[in-house]
Amino acid sequence: MSEEIVSRVSNYLTPQVPFKAIAQGAEAVVFTTNVHPYLPAKDSNNKTYVIKYRPPKRYRHPSIDRSLTKHRTLSESRLLAKLFLIPGLKVPQLIACDAYNGYIWIEFLGEDLPNDAGFSNLKNFLWMFAPSDPYDPIVKETLIKVGEQIGLLHWNDYCHGDLTSSNIVLVREGPESWQPYLIDFGLGSTSNMVEDKGVDLYVLERAIVSTHSLFADTYKEWLMHGFCQVYKNNGAEGEKKLKEVLNRFQEVRMRGRKRSMIG
Amino acid sequence: MVNLNTVLPRNGRNYYLALGLEGSANKLGVGIVKHPVLPEHEDGDLSFKCESEIMANIRDTYVTPPGEGFLPRDTARHHRNWCVRLIKRALQEAGVKDPSRDLDVICFTRGPGMGAPLHSVAIAARTISLLWGIPLVGVNHCVGHIEMGREITGAANPVVLYVSGGNTQVIAYSEKRYRIFGETLDIAIGNCLDRFARTLRIPNSPSPGYNIEQLAKKCSDKERLVELPYTVKGMDLSMSGILAYIETLAKDLFRGNKKNKILFDPKTGEQKVTVDDLCFALQENMFAMLVEITERAMAHVNSNQVLVVGGVGCNERLQEMMGQMCGDRALGQVHATDERFCIDNGVMIAQAGLLEYRMGQATTDLNETVVTQKFRTDEVYVGWRE
Repeated sequence: MSEEIVSRVSNYLTPQVPFKAIAQGAEAVVFTTNVHPYLPAKDSNNKTYVIKYRPPKRYRHPSIDRSLTKHRTLSESRLLAKLFLIPGLKVPQLIACDAYNGYIWIEFLGEDLPNDAGFSNLKNFLWMFAPSDPYDPIVKETLIKVGEQIGLLHWNDYCHGDLTSSNIVLVREGPESWQPYLIDFGLGSTSNMVEDKGVDLYVLERAIVSTHSLFADTYKEWLMHGFCQVYKNNGAEGEKKLKEVLNRFQEVRMRGRKRSMIG
Repeated sequence: MVNLNTVLPRNGRNYYLALGLEGSANKLGVGIVKHPVLPEHEDGDLSFKCESEIMANIRDTYVTPPGEGFLPRDTARHHRNWCVRLIKRALQEAGVKDPSRDLDVICFTRGPGMGAPLHSVAIAARTISLLWGIPLVGVNHCVGHIEMGREITGAANPVVLYVSGGNTQVIAYSEKRYRIFGETLDIAIGNCLDRFARTLRIPNSPSPGYNIEQLAKKCSDKERLVELPYTVKGMDLSMSGILAYIETLAKDLFRGNKKNKILFDPKTGEQKVTVDDLCFALQENMFAMLVEITERAMAHVNSNQVLVVGGVGCNERLQEMMGQMCGDRALGQVHATDERFCIDNGVMIAQAGLLEYRMGQATTDLNETVVTQKFRTDEVYVGWRE
């Protein structure tokens, strides 16, 4: 990560807020800190918070960059705030947001996996099991739960926009039990359109196939099992909507395959 | 370990010689490439360091008048007319006296591409294969681009952005396949530029995209940007909406539709936007989308190298933006090739085909040389990499 970004962030946060860089994603840099933006220091003791910062991108035209940063930061915050209120849906809690400068504060989730397997996102989790037992019952249970989270999201007419295995964080609930949380709603949206949900599922499928190629078929099956369950729990209306979403998903998939490729 | 010397050169030579024929779209290319036999290739993942020597790289493009695209039938006729002449010239340039003795393999594009042009070139390949008694290798066009890019730039394991008239894909290698991480959900970027060039009725020579690039450079006020839809969906993108929108703007501009407030001042009726501004906005917007999905793929697979291939890859603005993106990432590197290798050519087909041949994947059975219009990059088994 470039020095320039770090110095810009430390200028913005002032010396009262110590921070540590933990990851550089495609569009944002993620920092952790122990300071709460507005609660008194005694109330925020020993808690970790995440600061997600979208630095300006030099390669983009300034006017595209400004509008994207503002729009994505704002819509991500709005979505997080709304999704947090939905029963059963797990997303990190929003603490503060500065859309014009591209900063979001959220609660910190997850932990480091055992045996140096990295941070507890779904990607590292699946990779950790891949060499020994890729079809472990814990993997199955977790993937079904992930499917349920995505199902709940879609059932409530929200779309994620960038579903990949690194955008799902697992929080330990017991020695052998993990609760998936969806993160990174930068491309998320409210949408009741079947098209958006179909594309969402297609993006996820492609991410799973390309990152976990060898076991993708079974993983996909478990994910879809959890996904369908949410819809089926909502009676006849759920069944009907599920059928629409799955049909469209099929259509989108065919689109990707059959597209003529000349060049 | 990969042994690239599985099949040794014919007739006891100490080098391989491959002829490549490319004709999946409006370019007909013939290339001849030479690989020396190197002992380190017997045991190592060195397919990006073949020390290949380009003996001939000849291309002829079927250019249509402004406002028209190329049709399959006419393009195939162009390829049929020129194929023999180009092959003869290439052999002469490479100094190949007796092709039946000096060549190891004939490589041709099996797909993806337009059916009729692919077919006519495949027939030429089969003919010379029977004539000279040399085995054939059918090559995936996209893999040809990737292998040529790796050989030229020496990038060992890059994230590949493949942008051309028919393809827009972000590719990374994993487990013996080139996996597609992101791609267009509708039309390709080159197709979008070509069709916009047709709407503007600007010349198709040397290429529509090049002419758009030149117009965009002339844009007088680069601070102001016509706002266009920005349609990134995860690692995928969609471009048909942008094209439809900007085509409406261009048509309104030509008709002088004063009701359009984006183009004309509503009070004075003065024109605010020129064709140059539209070209500039289209490039800025679409290339920003491409760079963004590439960056996403890099973050996803933890890579710091990018290789840009395909016809649109010669665009200097795209290369510049890619460079700026990589500069902001730790140890980021961008690799790009020039128009000799970016634009479709025969050498890249020869390069990828020769790698396949050296792994023992050639054929003499003509039943296995059937071309296909739909041939996904991830269908190819990449035997020559670890």
